[in-house]
Amino acid sequence: MDWAGWALFGLIATTVLTALMICAQLGGLSRLDLPLILGTVVTPDPDRARAAGFVIHLGVGQGFAAGYAACFAVLGQATWWVGALFGALHGAVALMVLVPLLVGVHPRMASNRAGLESTAVLEPPGLLGLNYGAQTPLVTFTAHVAYGTALGMLLSVH
Amino acid sequence: MSARADAGGTPIEHYALLGDTRTAALVDPDGSVDWLCVPRFDGRPVFGRLVGGPAAGRFGLAPTRPIGLTSRSYRPGSVTLETTWSTDAGPLTLTEGMVTAVRGHLLPSTMLVRRLTAPEGPVEATIVFDPRLGEQNRSPRIHHRHRDRVLVCSWPTTAIGLMTTPHVHIDPGVSHRVTVSPDRPFTLVLTVADREPLTYVDPEAAWNALQRDEMGWRSWCRDIDPTLPRRDVVVRSLLTLRLLTYSPSGAPVAAPTTSLPEVLGGVRNWDYRYAWPRDASIGIAAFLGVGKHQEARAFLAWLLSATRLDRPHLPVLLTLYGKHPTPERELKNWPGYAASVPVRQGNGAADQHQLDGYGWVLDAAWLLTLAGHRLYSETWRTMAGFADSVAARWREPDAGIWEVRADLTQHVHSKLMAWLALDRALRIAAHHRTSARRTRRWTAARAELREEIMSCGYDPDKGSYVRSYGSEEVDAALLILPQLEFEEPSSPRVLGTLDAIVHDLDAGAPLLYRYAPGHDGLPGREGAFLPCSFWLVRALAESGRTAEATALFDDLIDLASPLGLYGEEMDPLTLHHLGNYPQALTHAALVQAALALKVADSP
Repeated sequence: MDWAGWALFGLIATTVLTALMICAQLGGLSRLDLPLILGTVVTPDPDRARAAGFVIHLGVGQGFAAGYAACFAVLGQATWWVGALFGALHGAVALMVLVPLLVGVHPRMASNRAGLESTAVLEPPGLLGLNYGAQTPLVTFTAHVAYGTALGMLLSVH
Repeated sequence: MSARADAGGTPIEHYALLGDTRTAALVDPDGSVDWLCVPRFDGRPVFGRLVGGPAAGRFGLAPTRPIGLTSRSYRPGSVTLETTWSTDAGPLTLTEGMVTAVRGHLLPSTMLVRRLTAPEGPVEATIVFDPRLGEQNRSPRIHHRHRDRVLVCSWPTTAIGLMTTPHVHIDPGVSHRVTVSPDRPFTLVLTVADREPLTYVDPEAAWNALQRDEMGWRSWCRDIDPTLPRRDVVVRSLLTLRLLTYSPSGAPVAAPTTSLPEVLGGVRNWDYRYAWPRDASIGIAAFLGVGKHQEARAFLAWLLSATRLDRPHLPVLLTLYGKHPTPERELKNWPGYAASVPVRQGNGAADQHQLDGYGWVLDAAWLLTLAGHRLYSETWRTMAGFADSVAARWREPDAGIWEVRADLTQHVHSKLMAWLALDRALRIAAHHRTSARRTRRWTAARAELREEIMSCGYDPDKGSYVRSYGSEEVDAALLILPQLEFEEPSSPRVLGTLDAIVHDLDAGAPLLYRYAPGHDGLPGREGAFLPCSFWLVRALAESGRTAEATALFDDLIDLASPLGLYGEEMDPLTLHHLGNYPQALTHAALVQAALALKVADSP
């Protein structure tokens, strides 16, 4: 497995993913803010949360990059299109499984079942993250495909 | 009598609100749930008789042969409703509510619990359970499951379960009779599933959950300021405001209904199942004033999240999750309340430019700052962006607070609120990092606005501020003048404006029209606008006319529905409530009026 590549390119690919999602936010396409969501696990201050969330997201991205590197090694090839395919699968899993599961573990995220006792302030993402805007699934999916493509291009099979 | 009452229907103010902070039901005094949307306030109705007629479904539960209604009230400090009828066989009491606290329990997010008790002897009751879904009043597929103990009504993505104790076999749309005996209450529980499995809940367990919930509400009320004038009334308003707050996102719903008419039989029928940033801001002030800081911050959190894609533009209204509403449309073949058509879904006001919203939002942010909540950097950046928008756009005509369609003009109230936005932004800027260039821009715009409002918005002959530049009419929205600190509350110009509004817009004390009747381009004459009367209470209290304010407040309290609820408007002749019901803005205005009276009465 390409450990040196993983250490460097995992960070680059995650940064690309995060940057794309921030651009989508700035462009008015989605309110999904992964650094904010991840960072508010540790602090309620949105600015501090974004900084903490970015670091957490880099860590999570490194974890996934290790998985990509392992898959490339097993397949014996690392190309942009194989990476893009993995990215598509990754994006679909993120939208349909990971993001909705956040409601169950995030201390500051409300659920659709929140009631009088709720002190949570982050709205739940809903199915495919649609509560954060109609373009959210497209943005998330595209960003993950870009993440996979970057890893496919940059990692090598040793 | 209202047209609906003449027609044998239920006057709007006779409806009770049941809710769980995710959706709400309206129940008439005959025990019929005539309105319930699932899974949220803005979802599709499963009981829609309120505006959809008999074909839209209902859930009736009442004595078979009632002699009359003996009493009907919410249990103190709670949202559980208790209705007692007299019958030949003795009294029959219906206790009902929706369960709010379901997190952490295997309970559905929508659960309506209804229990009949007959303490003095067996009483026969009738059940009519007839759910229909959405605009097409779609009948469900029927199943009797769980050894015939659960009635399941299902549509492609939605299902409703009905369970009873003692068990009764119920078929939808059919009238069923049960006998309630003194030693055994009759309990029904309705559960709803939307895109998830239906949860069967034992009626006894549901009843216990409702009682736990009731304790939660009592606890919520306990820390409300005990020194408020007419505290019981204010608490009911706060409970109503909380019921109309969508807990998953913190959005304040303007009202749980669509198309309850502002004129009986008329066309002024709008969908209010959305959240207005203006209402959120007024709600922040109301909750902060009574010490409910968590609720105030939840509204701000919703404002920040919901407006993210539009900043620095502030949308007029948004869905519960901060999206733009779907285009306004009319529901085909829905007869409307008291034949008031069309019944609308969506709200066309969403596309308007309303300058006043910025003022409400920045004022709320300032109140939070005053209450000791330092704004996060992101919050301040958002607020500063709104202030920039105002500084750039205040010269443009807008639609104004009343959302009159095709009334783009230079509204004085909007200009005052633009001034307020800049003024409050400058006050907050004193405590938060802001560039000198920005504050200079805001300061200059505020000064220009002030000058223009003083010269173009005031009619010296009338001695009053007016509705729009060059107009001779007044506008009840100007009742907020004393609270802005734009001028001294006791200045002749402010007092002259209050007097002119009371004179020109009088709908018979204590009621006021919001603008001169008939001046909105729509047929018919709308009712008196209730929030304005509460704003007048506040204005009088803040300008030193406390005795007048107190008397007016008491008169307004007397006009509440039998359960302490208010609609948006009231017919000045019949004193029937009009418009969507209950209305969050009216209840927030009531709370603020009480707070102003408290301050005015304090030494």
